[in-house]
Amino acid sequence: MDAVTDRRPVDVPLVDVRGVRMHFPVAGQWWAALRGRPTVVKAIDGVDITLRRGESVGLLGESGCGKTTMGRLLLKLIEPTAGEIRFDGRPLASLDRPSLKAFRQKAQLIFQNPFEALNPRFTVQQSIAEPLENAGVPANDRRELILQAMGRVRLPDPADLLGRYPHQLSGGQLQRVVMARALILEPTFIVADEPVSMLDVSVRAGILNVFREVRDSLGLTAVYISHDLALVRYVCARTIVMYLGAVVEDGPTEDLVREPLHPYTKALVAAVPVPHPDQSRDALPIRGGAPDARNPPSGCRFRDRCPHAFDRCAAEAPKPTRVGDRTVFCHLFQP
Amino acid sequence: MTQRHLLSVCDLRVEYKVGSDIVRAVDGASLDVPRGAIVGLVGESGCGKSTLARALTGVMPKSARIAGGQLLFDGTDLLRLSHRQMNRHRWRDIAFVPQSAMNSLDPVYTIETQLAEILRRRGGLNRAETRERSAHLFELVGIEPRRLGDYPHQFSGGMRQRVAIAMALALEPKLVIADEPVTALDVIVQRQILDRLRFLQAELGMSVLLVTHDISVVAYVCDEIVVMYAGRVMEAGEARTVLTEPHHPYTMGLYNAFPDLQSSQGLLTPIDGQPPDLRRPPEGCRFAPRCPFAEDACRGGEVPLTAVNGSTHAAACRRLDEATALRAKALEAETWMP
Ligand SMILES: Nc1ncnc2c1ncn2[C@@H]1O[C@H](COP(=O)(O)OP(=O)(O)OP(=O)(O)O)[C@@H](O)[C@H]1O
Ligand SMILES: Nc1ncnc2c1ncn2[C@@H]1O[C@H](COP(=O)(O)OP(=O)(O)OP(=O)(O)O)[C@@H](O)[C@H]1O
Ligand code: SF4
Ligand SMILES: [Mg+2]
Ligand SMILES: [Mg+2]
Repeated sequence: MDAVTDRRPVDVPLVDVRGVRMHFPVAGQWWAALRGRPTVVKAIDGVDITLRRGESVGLLGESGCGKTTMGRLLLKLIEPTAGEIRFDGRPLASLDRPSLKAFRQKAQLIFQNPFEALNPRFTVQQSIAEPLENAGVPANDRRELILQAMGRVRLPDPADLLGRYPHQLSGGQLQRVVMARALILEPTFIVADEPVSMLDVSVRAGILNVFREVRDSLGLTAVYISHDLALVRYVCARTIVMYLGAVVEDGPTEDLVREPLHPYTKALVAAVPVPHPDQSRDALPIRGGAPDARNPPSGCRFRDRCPHAFDRCAAEAPKPTRVGDRTVFCHLFQP
Repeated sequence: MTQRHLLSVCDLRVEYKVGSDIVRAVDGASLDVPRGAIVGLVGESGCGKSTLARALTGVMPKSARIAGGQLLFDGTDLLRLSHRQMNRHRWRDIAFVPQSAMNSLDPVYTIETQLAEILRRRGGLNRAETRERSAHLFELVGIEPRRLGDYPHQFSGGMRQRVAIAMALALEPKLVIADEPVTALDVIVQRQILDRLRFLQAELGMSVLLVTHDISVVAYVCDEIVVMYAGRVMEAGEARTVLTEPHHPYTMGLYNAFPDLQSSQGLLTPIDGQPPDLRRPPEGCRFAPRCPFAEDACRGGEVPLTAVNGSTHAAACRRLDEATALRAKALEAETWMP
């Protein structure tokens, strides 16, 4: 291979998100407008993210902060209302048909709910074969690839499971089938949206281990969406914390757990219970509940819950500030 | 049973009829809830936690049948009470926060109306008292009383969950049974609700049976733990003891499968396999098919819940005497490999 073409993809980040916004219209938009109420939900409101090749990044935050929306944007399942997302150096917005088809094969989603992710009328074989069919892989070659993918996710006795329907599988087996299906075309980029939240504790660990294994063996770049920091820490070396549609902190997971910087991350880390009798039961350093995504506060959107908020927090939005290996969006750290 | 316990469940059996099959969802479970304590009932999905909880409230689906056992509440066997007598206990002595309580509120009535229903009809309060108590309850669970007139859909999930807790507390019951009160909520909201529950429990001196699948939640807020598996109690005792010195291999396995933010953990270890089909549970120890320490003796005969050194800590394991050695082995990932 030519040295020049060989090097280019290494320097270019696999995914580059610049100034992305996703504003959904609220239901009854004209009525809201008439009454002077907000007419959009700012699900994503100005996000920059760069993903290097082979990196696993956790997207962490409370319900409604925009994690799933971000995941869908990254996979071009929806188009941002502003900003740009580049995949492998090329803007997703301007992919022609063949490139889009190639992108759809390279970038895959693993759903939260394995019980809904598969067609109940399809056998395991049919479900996993579907992407192969769409990609035009000859029928004769499929079985081999399917068994290989099933082995990769450590499904025991794969040949035995091929003819089964989803309702004949346990939750853990189902989620493995979903993963086998997502991995069958050997993607380079995967978004997993809360892949174990519907599963039992005793089987979760198995799925997480498989996730780590395939990611490493296929050299995947992965985004792992979760509201559970302990899970994110288990699978991702880097974590991006989101709050109300924006990033508040981004950096190595261990640093973030050991010494959270942003006041919101601090509360989040302090709130995670651990399975020991001895743990901090101090009051959380945070006030109130999450505000309405239709009407986020001015300046720093965390300010009405922040125990450290001062004048500047209401006046201007904090800019990204480097602290060690981390990026923090908070006036306490901004010069 | 001693006075120390507000509630004693003895050898409870609950079955569901499904077609021509009988599902033995709770199959000889015993546990105690001491006065003024929070007891955590943990176990994986389908092990019978909600079935046990519902049996205590007397509100069960038609297909369910109590096949045996005793439910001693403050000296009376609840199972011997008539429907009407049981009804008198409900809300006033025993209150229930059902699983996914946040979706169980009636969408067509305001919260105020729903609270008033309990306070006036069940508690016999007059209009003024009802208004005052309602406001007080909202304050207790940390919601502004001016929102009493709102409909359920106007609250977030976490707030609805707190409303459900407020309703359970309305008549200051002696026992609150809360089925997964914080599951599916964000950690910050979860923490706020657990702290509230702890505060209220201390304030009102009530007992709480908290059903959850999350041992971290139990570790955070409970005084005692009861670990269930496939319709039975596998281990029970003081939370600290059960967490630091588990005596049942299932408890040890559960612990290994759990991510822990505080420790620098190696690989998480799943428990291979899945719980048994409760229509045809295995003989002997129910956990034997998945247990890395199972021996032939484990697969035959009942395995009773046995006290550890005569303490209140008890486990149902044939190899109870070897618990210390097994615990050391359970820490090695290879032990759990299929
Ligand atoms: N199609 C849509 N139309 C309108 N609003 C939407 C749409 N999708 C999401 N939203 C809103 O955007 C915000 C972010 O939603 P999103 O699903 O991305 O959150 P999330 O972080 O994934 O939450 P969860 O943890 O609950 O899954 C929410 O306020 C949500 O109600
Ligand atoms: N109405 C019902 N009819 C038939 N079987 C039922 C019924 N409700 C529960 N079961 C079965 O009884 C067993 C125990 O169910 P239960 O809901 O008590 O478990 P659980 O421990 O609360 O689980 P989860 O953590 O998922 O809530 C399961 O096998 C379940 O499938
Ligand atoms: S910018 Fe201000 S309000 Fe926002 S997190 Fe930092 S200190 Fe708190
Ligand atoms: Mg989501
Ligand atoms: Mg349940």
